Amino acid sequence: MVAIVDPARLLERRPSAQVERPSCVFELRDVSVLYSGKAALKGISLDIQARLITAIIGPSGCGKSTFIRCLNRMNDLIPGAKVRGTILYHGQDLYAAEVDPVEVRRRIGMVFQKPNPFPKSIFDNVAFGPRVLGLREDLGARVERALRQAALWEEVKDRLDASALTLSGGQQQRLCIARCLAVEPEVILMDEPASALDPIATAAIEDLMHELKREYTIVIVTHNMQQAARVADMTAFFSVDVGPEGERAGILVEYDRTEKIFTQPADPRTEGYVTGRFG
Amino acid sequence: MRATLQEELDRLEEALQEEAELVLRSLRGAIAVLTEQDLELADEIIAFDDEVDRAYLALEQDVEELLARQTPVARDLRLVLASLHVNLHLERAADLCVTMCKLAKLVASSPADPAVVASFREMGERAETMLRVAMQALAGRDVAGAESLVEMDELIDRANRRLVGRILDLGSDPDRREWGLRMLVISRCLERIGDHAVDIGEQTAYLVTGELREFTDASHPGSEDE
Repeated sequence: MVAIVDPARLLERRPSAQVERPSCVFELRDVSVLYSGKAALKGISLDIQARLITAIIGPSGCGKSTFIRCLNRMNDLIPGAKVRGTILYHGQDLYAAEVDPVEVRRRIGMVFQKPNPFPKSIFDNVAFGPRVLGLREDLGARVERALRQAALWEEVKDRLDASALTLSGGQQQRLCIARCLAVEPEVILMDEPASALDPIATAAIEDLMHELKREYTIVIVTHNMQQAARVADMTAFFSVDVGPEGERAGILVEYDRTEKIFTQPADPRTEGYVTGRFG
Repeated sequence: MRATLQEELDRLEEALQEEAELVLRSLRGAIAVLTEQDLELADEIIAFDDEVDRAYLALEQDVEELLARQTPVARDLRLVLASLHVNLHLERAADLCVTMCKLAKLVASSPADPAVVASFREMGERAETMLRVAMQALAGRDVAGAESLVEMDELIDRANRRLVGRILDLGSDPDRREWGLRMLVISRCLERIGDHAVDIGEQTAYLVTGELREFTDASHPGSEDE
């Protein structure tokens, strides 16, 4: 039997709190990156929202890594690299003369494809950033908090003085994430963070990302489309544009909610890529 | 690229079209049973349903394996999901043919009514055409063809309503009333096959456009564009 319910009562059950509007962390407008005068990436405009996971997918050479390196000025470190266009971080020009790139990289941390712990103890790896920044108060508590957030604490709490190099690949990668978290960033950039890991370690990293997005904004580059489908809220598909003289540059083809990209992509190039029929 | 996935999707579509051919054979047989009172044929059609069931189960298994091994997305995923629905609609249509044959056997001793027989022939032919159009539209990714099923369905519905009026006029003789009731169920079966064809059409529209929508809204009649 279907009970007749007063529609007004059904309405009462709805949560009364307003849904919080996601705020913008990055606003990119017509961003291009040139290496020695040649465009590696051109005309990128998109917004990245706070406390979401944004995945960047696309074929090799489409400028995925170049793209996320723009977001914490890592490209500054590459001789001959030039970033054009506007990148706003909370409304402020990330590339303005008065902006300190070291402070940028503290707030916007990065995790790389290959785990790269320092040849130091587990503790010293995590404490490295805070020490450099002079955050020496309660260092032990800070290290523990970062290791807990990186879901590594239980596995290493009894051997914090052991060399980081004794950890497995998956543990090393979570250590690198803890190292990044220890300086309390707002954004975590991840460049293929699981591609050197086995499926179990990959699942641990993906679970961790899911936990971290409560507090952090995450941008991940991945060539694993199923990983993007599993973890990301928003997905940007980049591709390679070939110019009239054969010059190749990465472009943004489509940017939308992940479920849209994987069920009803608007652009045939996206459809071709996600269905594996990229020609 | 992804040759295995494409081959498996092609096979899935072929299997659906083959299953539809089996259902159409059942339907043509059932119409012959109703219009020619061929009871031997009725038993054959009832037994033949096992073949449709086998095709249905094989297709379900293929879909399960394809999802597990190929993880299709976007249009590929929509084709797989649509296949599951179409598979079920075809199997149900075949079941309705069995129901009609069983009812035909139950009323075999009563004299046939020429007007009722004519009505079954008309509805049966319309239902057959609708299934055909539905499967062609699916194969051709033809949304307009799929949408044309709505108008065709209206004609079956009208024939069904006319038959209801005729049966209500039968009077109070209990035997005739029982016969009439069974005729109504048969008429309803034919009308339902038309509905399944429309539902297959909706899956075609979903496959092509990515948008799931009912062609007609039965719970809010008159609210759609006229």
